[in-house]
Formats: sequence, structure tokens, C-alpha cells
Amino acid sequence: MAKPIDLLQGTLDMLILKAVSLGPLHGYGVLLRIQQISKDRLEIQQGSLYPALYRLEHQGWIASEWGESENKRKAKYYRLTAAGKRRFQAETEKWNRMADMIAGILNTTPEEV
Amino acid sequence: MTFWSRVSSWLQAMLRRSRMESEMDAELRFHVEAYADDLIRSGVPRPEALRRARLVFGGIENAKEECREARGVHFVETLLQDSRYGARTMLRSPGFTVTAVLALALGIGANTAIFSVVNAVLLRPLPYDQPDRLMQVWHTPPQKSFPGMPTFAVSPANFLDWREQSRSFEGMSAYGFGRYTLTRSGHPEAIRMVAATVGLFSILRAQPLLGRGFLAGEDEPGHEHEVVLSYGLWRGHFAGNPDIVGKNIQLNGQAFAVVGVMRPEFDFPISSDPGSRAQMWKPLAWSAQDRAVRDNHNYAVIARLKDGVSLPQAQAELDAISNALAQAYPNDNKGWGAIAIPVREDLVGDVRPALLILLGAVALVLLIACANVANLMLVRALSRRKEVAVRTALGATRRRLLQQALSETLLLAFAGGALGLVFAHYGVILIVKFLAERLPRANEIALDSWVLAFTLGISLLTGFAVGLLPALRMAEADLNQALKQGLGRTATDSGGSRTRNVLAVSEVALSLMLLIGAGLLIRSLWVLQHVNPGFDPSNVVTMAVSVPTGKFAEATQQINYFGRILERVRALPGVQSAGLIDSLPLSDDGSHQPFSAEGRPTAPMAELPEVEVRLISPGYRSAMHIPLLSGRDVDDSDVAGRPGAVLISESMAKSFWPNEDAIGKHLTLYFFPELPRVVVGVVGDVKMTAMNETQPAPTLYFPVAQMSVPRGASWRSFGMILVARTDAAPLSVVPAITGSIREIDSEVPLLNIRTMDDSVSASLSQARFTMLLLGAFAGLALLLAVVGIYSVMSYAVSRRTNEIGIRVALGASRGDVLLLIVRQALLLALIGSVIGIVGALALSRLLASQLYGVRPTDPVTFISLAALLMIVALAASYIPARRAMRVDPMTALRYE
Repeated sequence: MAKPIDLLQGTLDMLILKAVSLGPLHGYGVLLRIQQISKDRLEIQQGSLYPALYRLEHQGWIASEWGESENKRKAKYYRLTAAGKRRFQAETEKWNRMADMIAGILNTTPEEV
Repeated sequence: MTFWSRVSSWLQAMLRRSRMESEMDAELRFHVEAYADDLIRSGVPRPEALRRARLVFGGIENAKEECREARGVHFVETLLQDSRYGARTMLRSPGFTVTAVLALALGIGANTAIFSVVNAVLLRPLPYDQPDRLMQVWHTPPQKSFPGMPTFAVSPANFLDWREQSRSFEGMSAYGFGRYTLTRSGHPEAIRMVAATVGLFSILRAQPLLGRGFLAGEDEPGHEHEVVLSYGLWRGHFAGNPDIVGKNIQLNGQAFAVVGVMRPEFDFPISSDPGSRAQMWKPLAWSAQDRAVRDNHNYAVIARLKDGVSLPQAQAELDAISNALAQAYPNDNKGWGAIAIPVREDLVGDVRPALLILLGAVALVLLIACANVANLMLVRALSRRKEVAVRTALGATRRRLLQQALSETLLLAFAGGALGLVFAHYGVILIVKFLAERLPRANEIALDSWVLAFTLGISLLTGFAVGLLPALRMAEADLNQALKQGLGRTATDSGGSRTRNVLAVSEVALSLMLLIGAGLLIRSLWVLQHVNPGFDPSNVVTMAVSVPTGKFAEATQQINYFGRILERVRALPGVQSAGLIDSLPLSDDGSHQPFSAEGRPTAPMAELPEVEVRLISPGYRSAMHIPLLSGRDVDDSDVAGRPGAVLISESMAKSFWPNEDAIGKHLTLYFFPELPRVVVGVVGDVKMTAMNETQPAPTLYFPVAQMSVPRGASWRSFGMILVARTDAAPLSVVPAITGSIREIDSEVPLLNIRTMDDSVSASLSQARFTMLLLGAFAGLALLLAVVGIYSVMSYAVSRRTNEIGIRVALGASRGDVLLLIVRQALLLALIGSVIGIVGALALSRLLASQLYGVRPTDPVTFISLAALLMIVALAASYIPARRAMRVDPMTALRYE
């Protein structure tokens, strides 16, 4: 297993949006889903997950309702709203452009300059 | 998000607060338990799993706090929480709370009271439609003949030319004030009447409640017997009967038709107290002869600017018209200009400086109060360092601490504001009571919504001003140090004590500035009260014998009438002497007239010198005890048919016949050219307009028995003022005097019965009141500064107890210790005084307009008040210093 890397600033929101875009999840589920997708290569501070969820909900990108968990316990489920979907797409595009650009810069060889 | 949706989200959030809290708890608990379950499934024993789950999650309270913040309703919620906490803390230290709230309440209350006056007098729009477009139009007289007089009443012919030639105004109306006698079932009553040319009501855009205003043509002679009643008069005298419209009433013995009744809020001209509001309006009907008068200035003019015309444009047009008139009629109009002044400015121009000075003074008081409370807060913040440290350790962010500290001071400020409103309420009652006569629109002063908004605003501002500094210091406190130091009593707190010293120094400086301002006004008033008015006001009673226009058909009838009255009054027991004058000294009205003197070149009217001219009867001078400097008084031999006799004042004699004897000189009054007159006596100068007159006004008196119809005018009878010198208690003779006048004429209204002492005192009332208010504010400032110095010094002593103990142990005497403390206090006071003196030097010239006989830089006032402040500072430091002297070295060294 590779050594987990810390999350880049500001990317947690995007990861949460991605996680809930695949289907409604409770907070712990969001954590597990991100770890699963990243193959445990990302380290997420559990305490910082909830303020991010509350913030996204306040901004109207995700919505929540209470439901029952796999083990029959009451849990709060988050799902992506229509506004959140648009936002997620925009953020993803922006991120890809940025990543391409930075990768391009970093891969430049001395001959190309 | 609109403001209201945000508020409603806050409100809902607050209502749902407890539910959200429990949901948040449940959610986080679910997370930890679900994680623990997974750990248990992977073989970790249950207690260990739970422990590890919590550990991995991190600070749960911290996360909750961040969640609340992320939810966006944090601010209001914590504000409420902080306020509750703040209220509890404050109740635990009542001494601090009472001092702080009282200081702020005095500051805010003084500001609120003065602002409510400023609001009513200077800010609130006048009760007319678009009042900013209403202009008062006056003449500007030639400065050579009327030195220092900015505006002058208007003559009919000039008014008519202005009205006809100007294009800047929608309408222009001339008006005059008069007294009429209303007779109902044989009972006479004096009524305040405004006579105005047609158009007044449409210029003011005032709609009558009943009936109508005046119609075009009603200001033609013969058509003017119509009146419009004020609402007050209609209700008071005619029982609010709507049938009165169309009926006739008796005014000055003639029938007038009531054509309308105005609305209750209508008032014109604006007056300060109900006792001087106009009660009726009638058309001003000039005869052809009146309309031609250009040289006699007796009317006020109001006009409304046309839409789209600016004041400078209108003024330029008036200037052009005035120039043309001066060229067309050089004899009457040379040097006479015209000026349009917004009505409000015309109304309040005189009181604005005094009000602005008071507003500045209360702002200083509030600043001092703020400095004071900030000081107290700083000391408190220091003693609460441990509390802050504990809260920081428990996860409070810096922002959160700041917010909490600020909400405490805001709470203090709002408590101060609420109490301040109570103070202001009584302050306003006092101000109105003392100032109603001198302050235009004083009846409108009230704590209305604008004033409440103002109070709320300055309370908020005060809260921030007072709280920010201590809050920042509190939030910055170093966690480790504070916890280590326990109560932090011996902490090296040099930054804090520097801040406190700066605050104390500024309190001293600001209060010295106020003290010097008040001191200058007190000295000025003292000088004024000892000014010789030129007459002896004691034991003199005056009353207006109000003769209506049209009562006597000829001048001789009026002369005889007053002659009979004087005869009766002089014969009364208790009356030493009595006389008549057309307008009293200190009354700010009376006639200015041009004259030509023997031995001086003849000139057109506009270039003739002007003097104050008073009509008197024999006996006036002796009743007033105005000294006769040379020559003789006018007497009963100076009647019609005899050579005209005049008395002149000393200043008139000096300015017109500087190096010769004025007695025997001939002169001619421009308006009474048919009778040449000769100076028979020179009398002392009298304060004609006000006690604070700096230059004596050259004055000429001539006997009423030698009056005639003024040039260009027709005869109108007029009232005079009876002046009686009594043996004692002048008011006790009043019934006898009025009784004897009533025997001659049962219908004549006798008005404004007062002693001359009262007139002198009324002339000083504004100066006295400004002085009293500023004095009160300065006293308040001094008190606050004393509290400030005291608190700084007591804190310094308690902080230096250890040091003092060491000094005493090393052999310092009690005197040395006393000196140590007092020296520090004196240093603060000295620095503050120097800054205060510099500030006062810079600001006191703003007071110049309010001062009489004292220079704004009067060194006596400056030095004595600075000395007073030093002594007071010394006294304030004495109690802490004594405490320092009693320090026992053994206790002090153990003191931690």
C-alpha cells in the first residue's frame, strides 16, 4: 500500500460531490467511498468532513434527509442537487484543464524551452 | 439572497436551533459508532474500537463548532449566546457595570438631547411642500449707512419690480405682521395678523381646510376685507364651527368676511412658540400711493424657485434687476441689492453656530466616556486573562473570542443608550423650557424616530469604539503565559499600561478643551451681565398700548390720546415717572432712517447717513434714567407748531460732530422733511438691539408730539410702549396702570407687560443657556476624566505593589512612595493639559461668535482651567497614592 498523501486544499468539496454523485450516502459512507475510490491513497481528516458537508448543504449543492443505514440505524443521507450537479461538472472541467496545464509545464524538457 | 430572506433564514435557524443541535449530535455519533463497528468487525475489542474511533475523528467539539459556522447561522446564534453570557458576567461585577453604563448613558444621553434639538431646528424639513425651493428675499442695504447689517426689509415699489421682472420664481409675495383687535360681543382681543399680497398660499402650496385662500384682485384697495383663520383660532374662538366661512367678523371696528380656515399644521411665518403664531391672514392691499413707495422698507418677501432654476441663477437675476433699479432710481436705490436666502437658513442662521458648538461639545463628552469605559474594559480584560486562556484551550477561535468580547461591550453600550434616552427625554424638556422663545421651531423638538435611530447608531458605534481595543488585547493573550501566571497580577503588561496612559491623557486633553470652552462662555456672560445697558432697568415696567391701524383718523388725535394716558399714569401713587417710546431698547426692532445734517453735503437718499430713530414722549428719558450729557431734555413745550427738537445719543454726536458741540445743530429727517429740527440735548448711548452689541448704535429721539405723516405714505395710527418707573416692585403697580388706561379706553389691548429687568435677562437668555449647557457638559467631562485618572492610578498602584514593597524594604520613606505615584499622575495630567491647551487654541476661534468682551485665546481662562484640572488630577491620584503609602513590605513581597 502506497503511503497516503494529504488532501490538496479545496479539493475535499470536489471529492464529496463526486462521492454523492454516485448515489445518496451518509457522512461515514462518503468517507468510505472516497477512500475506496482512491484505493486508500488519500488521508482525510474525519473531523473536517462534516463542516465541509454542512457548508455544501448550506450552499445548496447537496441536500440531506434522514434514512435508515445498512445496519438499521438512523443516519443522515446526502445526495447531489441539480445545482450541485452543474457545479460539479464545472469544477471537474476546471480541474482537468488546470491539471493538464500544470502537467504540461512540469513535463517540459530543457530542449523545449 | 435578499435581506429579508436572510433574516427569515436566521429566525428559522434560531427556532430550529435545538433540533439542529441534536441532529448534529446524532449524525456525529452515528459516524463514530459506524467506524467503531467496522473496527470491531475487523477484530478489535469493542472498548478499544470506540476509543480509537473517537481518537481518529479528532476534536469533536471543534468539529461541531466548525459545522455551526458552516451552517451560516452562526453569527446571530452566538451573538445571543454571548449576550446572555455577557449579561451574566456583568451582573457578577455590578460596580464595573454601573460605572460603565452610567458613563455611556451620560455621553449618549447628552448627544441624543442635543441631536433632537439639531434635528428639529436644523435638519427636519419645514412643513411645506418642497420647502427647499422656498426663498426669503431681502434687500442688502449699502454698508456705508448700515454697517454690519446683512439684510433689510423690502419697499413696495422694489418688490413689485422684482416680482414683475424676475423669471426665476414661480411666485413672490410680500407680507407684513400686524396686530388687529378682534371684537366679539363687545370683548376686545389682540390678534396676530399677517397681511400678504395675493399668491402667498399658492407659493407655500398650502390648501385650506375649509373655504379658500385669496383670489387675484383681492389685494386691490377696497377688496381686501377678507380673512383666513388659523386652525387654532378657529377651534379656540369659533368652536370649530364650519359655518363661520362666509360670515363676517369685527376687526378694528370693521367687518371682515371669513373666506377660509387653514389646516392645523399650517404655520406662516414659522414661529418658535405657540404664543407668537400667526392667527389670521388677510390680503395686503397697497394703494396707488403705497405702491410707489421705494424708499421706505417695511415688508418681508417669500418666493418659490421655478423648477430647474438654481439658487445662483436666481441670485444672478436678482443682482441684475437690482443694478438696473439702482440706475433707474439712484436717489432711492443706489447701493441697495437683493438676496435670496433659503427659508430654513433665514430662520435658523442665528442659532446654528451655537447648536453646532453644543453638538461638538457632546461629541467630545461621548469620546471621553468611551475612553473611560475602554480603560475600565482593559483592566478587566487583564483580570480575565485566565478565563480567556481556558476558553482558548477548549478550542475557542480568535474570531470567536473577539466576537464574544465585542458583544459584551455592545451590551454595555445598548444599556447605556437605553438609559441615555431617559436622560435625553428630561434634557429635552429642560431645553425646550429654557429656549422656546429663542429657538425657531422649538415646539417641534421631540424624541422621534430619527432621534431614536441616531441613538441606536451612536450606541452601536460606541460599543465598537469601546470594545475593539480591549477585545483585540483579550483575544491576543498568550495562552501559555496566561495559564502559567495564574491571575496574571504581576504580569509585565507594558503595552497595556501604555494604552491606558494614552487613554487617560486623551481624557484629560478633551475635558480641558471643553472646560476652556465653557470657561470662555462663563467669562463672556459675566462681562455681559456687568455691561451697562445705558439705562437703569430696575423698578421699570413696560407695556405695549396696542392701537390698531385706523383707530385715529388724524395724528393729533393719537397725540392727544397718548397725552391723556400719560397724564393719568403719572398721577398714580407709586409711579415716579412715565414716558412713551415706539420701540424699546434691546428689542431688535425699530426704525432706521436717513437724515441730512447741517454743514454736511446734501446727497441722494441712498447715500444719506442712517441712524436709529425713536419716537418718544417727554419723561421717557428720565423714566429710563438715561443720562443727559449736555443740553436739555425734550419737554411739553416741544409740540406741533414749535421748532423741531431732537435728542441724540453720544455716539451720534461723536460721529457726526466729532470736534464740535452738537447742541444747536440743525438736521432734517428724510421721511419728515417739512419740519427742520435742532439738537437740544445729547444723551448717553443705550443698547438698542441686544446686550452683546459691540458698537453703540447712533440714535436720534424726537417727540411724538412733533410727528407727522411720513413722506409718500398715508396716515396710519400706531401703538406705543408705556414705560413707568415705580417706587418699588414694579409689577405691583400694573393693575393701577392698566385700570387707569381702561378708564380712557376700555377696548385697547395692553400687551407684553413685563419689567425692564426681564427684558435685560431675556436678552441674555441664549448666551446664558449656551453657557449652562456647555458648562454642564464640561463638568461631566471633568468628572469622567477624574474617574479615568483614578482608575489608571489605582490600577498602577496595585500593579506596582511588589515594586513599592521592595522600595520600602530598601528604605524609601512614605513621602518617597507618595511622590512616586503622584508624579506619575501629574505627568499624565501635564501631558494631557498641554495637548488640551493646544487643541483649545485651535478650536476656540469657533466660539468667537458667541463671545463678548473675551478673546477666544484669553490666557486667564486657559491657565486657570489647566491649573484646576491639574489640581483635580492630583486629588484623583491621592487615594491610590495613600494606598501605596500604606503598603507593608512583608505583605507586598509575598503578594502574587
